[in-house]
Amino acid sequence: MVQSAAADDVFRALADPTRRRVLERLSGGPASVSELAAPFDMQLPSFVQHLAVLERSRLVKSKKRGRVRTYEIAPARFRVVEDWLTAQRRLWEARLGRFDEYVKQLKDKEAKA
Amino acid sequence: MNRSFAVDPRLDLVIERFIDAPTRLVWEALTKPEHLKEWYMPRPWGRVSRAEMDVRPGGIFSIDITVADGREVPNLGCFLEVVPMQRLVWTSMLFPGYRPAVFDDIPITAIVTMEAVGAGTRYVFTALHRNEADREQNRSTGFQQGTEIAVDQFVEHVTAMR
Repeated sequence: MVQSAAADDVFRALADPTRRRVLERLSGGPASVSELAAPFDMQLPSFVQHLAVLERSRLVKSKKRGRVRTYEIAPARFRVVEDWLTAQRRLWEARLGRFDEYVKQLKDKEAKA
Repeated sequence: MNRSFAVDPRLDLVIERFIDAPTRLVWEALTKPEHLKEWYMPRPWGRVSRAEMDVRPGGIFSIDITVADGREVPNLGCFLEVVPMQRLVWTSMLFPGYRPAVFDDIPITAIVTMEAVGAGTRYVFTALHRNEADREQNRSTGFQQGTEIAVDQFVEHVTAMR
């Protein structure tokens, strides 16, 4: 289970389009700060702050080799989405669970009427 | 009724259930917007803010969902097949009136079949998904393609755990 504070961090991290695009880029493989920053029209310090938010949420991790810091996706946080179909199933099972409950309520209402 | 579709277990999901309620009510809960609003979204994921359904082939299937962080997520599609109390098919790959749809992150064709069993109803929900050529690769690398999909799913999942 993800604790609430961790979930908040993840939400905050994912809430921003720049950070989502960084995640997309990293999903293709590790990249240095300058490679990541290149597509964005943004001052480097601001961009580095975005990376810091991502790293704090533990969606990404970084390594420093010499003067180059490289970022990559931290798979643990994303393991949950690995099996895409499982996620779909979870959604529909929950949905149909509510459906069944609701139909039963309709039935009870009719019985009383 | 003949099944006019094939299920690929790697892509599709099939959920079969029995409800101790008449088929008439199951159909009603499935096809009337005021009912659908009550069950369509598992609470932790969000809520239905607007629903419109014109239950006939080509008719509109429109469900706007407000997710936990306040974003509005529209779901627009159309019905393909309507056989009252037996079979309902809709898709998000086509807009109302069979107009080819714009890209949807997780397009589905949904098929619900139902039949009376005693005083209850057996129904089968099937969701057919598009074939993503590299889904297998996705799985092995964890997170490579369709990142937006994954992120959305992830948000959903985290929301559910809150």
